[in-house]
Amino acid sequence: MAIDWLAIAPEVALTVTALLVLAADLALRGDAKQLVNPLAMIGTVVAIVFAVVLWAEAPRVAFEGQYVVDSFAVAFKLLFLGTLLAILAISARYFAEGRYFQGEYYFLLLTAFIGMLLMPSARDLLVLFIALETVSVPAFVMVGMRKRDLYSSEAALKFFLIGVLSAALMLFGMSMVYGFTGTTRLEGIAQALAGDAGSVPLLLGSVMLVIVGFGFKISAVPFHFWAPDTYAGSPLPVAAMLAVASKAAGFAGLLTIAFVAFEPVADVWAPVLGVLAILTMTLGNLVALQQRDLIRLLAYSSIAQAGYMLIPFGLARPGAEVVNQAAVRAVLFYLIAYAVMNVGAFAVAIGVNRRTGERSIRDYAGLGTRSPLLALAMTVFLLSLGGAPLTVGLWAKFAIIEAVAVEVTVFGLVMASFLVVNSVIAFFYYLRVIREIWFEPAAAEAPRLQPALSLSVVVVVLMVGTILLGVLPGLVADPTVVTTFATGG
Amino acid sequence: MLSEYLPILLLFVIASAFAVGSLVVSSLVGPRAPNPTKLAAYESGNEPLADVKGTRFSVKFYMVAMLFLIFDIEAVFLYPWAVVLRELGWFGLVNMTVFVLVLGVAFVYEIGRGGLEWD
Repeated sequence: MAIDWLAIAPEVALTVTALLVLAADLALRGDAKQLVNPLAMIGTVVAIVFAVVLWAEAPRVAFEGQYVVDSFAVAFKLLFLGTLLAILAISARYFAEGRYFQGEYYFLLLTAFIGMLLMPSARDLLVLFIALETVSVPAFVMVGMRKRDLYSSEAALKFFLIGVLSAALMLFGMSMVYGFTGTTRLEGIAQALAGDAGSVPLLLGSVMLVIVGFGFKISAVPFHFWAPDTYAGSPLPVAAMLAVASKAAGFAGLLTIAFVAFEPVADVWAPVLGVLAILTMTLGNLVALQQRDLIRLLAYSSIAQAGYMLIPFGLARPGAEVVNQAAVRAVLFYLIAYAVMNVGAFAVAIGVNRRTGERSIRDYAGLGTRSPLLALAMTVFLLSLGGAPLTVGLWAKFAIIEAVAVEVTVFGLVMASFLVVNSVIAFFYYLRVIREIWFEPAAAEAPRLQPALSLSVVVVVLMVGTILLGVLPGLVADPTVVTTFATGG
Repeated sequence: MLSEYLPILLLFVIASAFAVGSLVVSSLVGPRAPNPTKLAAYESGNEPLADVKGTRFSVKFYMVAMLFLIFDIEAVFLYPWAVVLRELGWFGLVNMTVFVLVLGVAFVYEIGRGGLEWD
């Protein structure tokens, strides 16, 4: 019984860091407590190094096939760790000035990210469930961190109740899948589904229940109600975490379970997810048009983005390897692009919100004169979210169209046309914010903004990344990587 | 396939019928002679101290309950481990040490933050 330590090295690094952060928070007094932030960053960098080493070593199989580190998993791990680094950098000032529960915040943040790192590697229903809950439970607490603020409590309660409900539904589905197939291994489930079990209606129902659990995490439409209130009520770095990392983790889990375990019944779930994709992007964009608060606007925009990312799921067909691989690739590329631009948008929102507490779109009037850097960055991020040329957002949408074009079907074309129409709608509200930033005069008493150094660095790096990937998408869209799922033999 | 579950369904039906039936019959047939002592809240035979309705619990009780759960789970986890300790050898010992250490850090944090002080 030897453990393949290298395979789980990034997770171990984060776990040790989380414990050290907890101990440091206890040992340090006063202003020294802020040292936990750099400590967490060092741990994250160590984890990134391990993940890069693993990239060359992939695929590795650990824990008797329950845990697989293939290039798909490592790509996700790097995405999560990069996001973690950015979130740590933008939370530093935010929590230092708030003076509440810093140590706990960093500990919970790291714990949630441990769960995310587990997610794309899990090849067993139980590991997948534990990973999902490790992401959710710390997030419930982090959302309610400003405990004297009623909005924060409301956000936490909504998030908790809907989260627990969806976890219960998913667990119920998982137990029935286990009952029908006799195994919790994803490959074993796929074999059983390909055989006789695949035609039992109740089993197909439980497959849908499992997918519902992930639908909550990615805030797809019938399960999206928590997202705007939760993002608006929680501390802004936590909102960034939920909107980007937690959503990416949901997609990682959904990709694994859909394309490894439930692949033989893809003809059942693909149309459902495709219809959800259409509903999600349309509803997200239409409601975003009405928003006055920038955070709520970003929340609805992130719902719409989840809709775009669901399109490739609608293309899946059992046994059609080329189509399915193209779908996985499209989702992964979109997630990377989405992480870069959305973390950036939240970083700017934190830069503006800090000290001033401003968050409505009106407050962004004249940002161009108050802080040219933040204004320029926000413009780039919003254009990219919309999918303008010269930004990575365009290639992200292009990747989805490319996946649709692999094998043209009527349903695929319908989804693609919804994507195009929705992109146009989305531009309307993104450009409205940009108009406020550059063309409206700032309120007379509005102070100039001086964002913290760490925040400025993050914003600049992400802005450069958005444009660089927009010019050279090949940097991350290497088609030879991340095509198949390594199986846990 | 589903017909194999018919006995379980029957069991559910009979169990619920028995539970509901005995409640209904006893409420219809049983004698009723309430007096103040019978209606009072049961506090181990003492005079009730306060009205139970609307009483708020201090959050400290939840802290103790959660701590109890965590260490209860640790104890439950230690029992099967202790039974097979010899077969697991060093592997088992090292892993359990890691597990207890992780819990230990949380415990030290708890004490350090004053989680166990009642007032």
